[in-house]
Amino acid sequence: MPWRYIIGRLLMFVITIWIASTFVFFLPRLSGQNPLAEKIYQEAQQGGYEDPNVAERVRVFEAKYGFDRPIWEQYVKFVTDVIQFDLGRSIFQWPKTVNEILAEKIMWTLAMGLLTLILAFLIGSLMGALMEWRRHNIGLMVSMAPILALSAVPFFIFGLVLQLLVFNIDNEFPLVYGYQQGIVGWPDWTDFSFILSVLKHAILPALSITVVSLGGWAMGMRGMMVTTKGEDYMLQAEAKGLPDRVMFFQYAIRNSLLPQLTGLTLALGLIVSGVVLVEIVFGYPGVGGQLLQAVRSNDYPTTQGIVFVLAFGTAGATLALDLLYPLIDPRIRT
Amino acid sequence: MIKEIQTDNTPARISANSIMDTPFMRERIIPMLRYMRRNRLIVGGIGIFVALGLFVILSFIFYSKVDLLGETQGVNGLVRAISVPARQTPSWNPWSGYPLGTDEQGRDIFAAVVVGIPLSLRIGLIAAAIGVGVGMVLAFVAAYAGGWVDAVIRTMVDSLIPIPGLLILVLVATSLNPGKGLTVDQLGFVIAVLAWPGPARVIRSQVLVIRERGYVEMARMSGTSPIGIIFKEMMPNLAPYALASFVAAVSGAILASIGVESLGLGPLDSPTLGSMIYWNIFNSSILLGLWYWLLPPIVVLVLLFIGLFMISAGLDEVANPRLRRRV
Repeated sequence: MPWRYIIGRLLMFVITIWIASTFVFFLPRLSGQNPLAEKIYQEAQQGGYEDPNVAERVRVFEAKYGFDRPIWEQYVKFVTDVIQFDLGRSIFQWPKTVNEILAEKIMWTLAMGLLTLILAFLIGSLMGALMEWRRHNIGLMVSMAPILALSAVPFFIFGLVLQLLVFNIDNEFPLVYGYQQGIVGWPDWTDFSFILSVLKHAILPALSITVVSLGGWAMGMRGMMVTTKGEDYMLQAEAKGLPDRVMFFQYAIRNSLLPQLTGLTLALGLIVSGVVLVEIVFGYPGVGGQLLQAVRSNDYPTTQGIVFVLAFGTAGATLALDLLYPLIDPRIRT
Repeated sequence: MIKEIQTDNTPARISANSIMDTPFMRERIIPMLRYMRRNRLIVGGIGIFVALGLFVILSFIFYSKVDLLGETQGVNGLVRAISVPARQTPSWNPWSGYPLGTDEQGRDIFAAVVVGIPLSLRIGLIAAAIGVGVGMVLAFVAAYAGGWVDAVIRTMVDSLIPIPGLLILVLVATSLNPGKGLTVDQLGFVIAVLAWPGPARVIRSQVLVIRERGYVEMARMSGTSPIGIIFKEMMPNLAPYALASFVAAVSGAILASIGVESLGLGPLDSPTLGSMIYWNIFNSSILLGLWYWLLPPIVVLVLLFIGLFMISAGLDEVANPRLRRRV
């Protein structure tokens, strides 16, 4: 593999991470608010009497968070910390570090995002391939039309529609949250009924992401199939008298599927944004709800941590795809 | 023979000279109509937009509770003026004079939708115009300057694409105006911040392709200035691509605005479609069974997105003749 390409991609990854961490550092600070002092004053007033040392306490905590240093020094410290995955402590949920908060939430987001992504990618690609393979099948075209149209709608809007439908059909089906309510402390993952409730709660958000994503993959695949169908080896396969199914799965799909991965690298950022919104609408226990809460309460470290980790994940996945792609697809290896 | 080729006329193929010496109708309008009969996607998309536009205009004229004119009773003013008590029980009774009922602040849902359509479109148009404009300038600069300028612009664009845009927009929206929310126009500008990398990427690759075409070479050899080449030779041929990425950018910007607004970070006092959805989520209207409050903005949004999607897919077909449906 050409080293130039690898180094170029790695450099791009570093730049992406740097841009993301810079955005994440400066944007919350533009508001000019001081959430730390606000939080401390608020707590100092609880219990009815004013703590006389409150200003002193604010100063101590600001020193602890490094807010008393000049902004560039904070920035350098932030970037060096963040690339070591030290995301600091939350202001709003004080003694917790951002890493602890993320550890609780990120698996939900990751599981939901990856599962729906893979499902949608496979089913959507198959649909698109079939659409082109049987392009004169009116029934198929008619049934695909709504799925293609849906691909233009945001995930969470479709999620709201699903909620509306399900609520009016079956009042007992869980519309929000990620598992049965009323669990104290850490949920017990060995309990079968708990796992069942997790699956039941995941159905609607997963469905709203998957169904909406299908159309995009189908369209990309159909475009690739048009090109593949015109290739000489397809003509030869037909001339050899290969069965239709072999031609479809082993010739056409195999050669069309790989370029779809390029589409994946471009879509990842949008998908992550969409999953975060879906989580908020469904009250899912992933990072989405946490991000909203952190943004509302102006909890910089948490906001920064969540946005940074999501951007890092997306950029990392893009990098991995870009680097793996020439290995998987020998046609573009130079 | 020539005649036959021209019935298959597409904007991608018209060179600047042929417009001048032939009758406008026969050469442009009729082939366009003929082409539109084949490109149903564009027609359907534009149809949805015309229908929505008519709906808004007719409502402004005939539905007395929405008043476009009058400064003191401006669009937002009127919708707010109807809300007399600060908080009401949402209700739906078609004979009460509010065809789609009223929301929890007593606002007329029908009026809010009518006013919300142009407001949401406005956000999309502002963001897309800035995004595509900046993207186009960068694309031309990159393609023409080449060398390290191109490398810098390309790296910048490619590094921005993997960043989940909504998250950055959420940060911008909260930090610009904490607690109060943005105005409609401000939201458009905020979304424009991340609207340019996509168009820049698409248009740059097209500029590179078109620059090598024969007619550009011809113009260059006959002494046309670079500016002349860009505006007279390349722009007309770039138009379908630029238009397709503009429409896609409008759709993306509305998508982003709905996302930001649904989190309660948008213009909460203007009844944009996104703010309506926010108030629905905020008041958990689904669990309260107030479907008539949530459904109108969703139906309109779905129509908007599908219309934009159809137009953009149709324009793609104009730009890439390979995708064209054979008749």
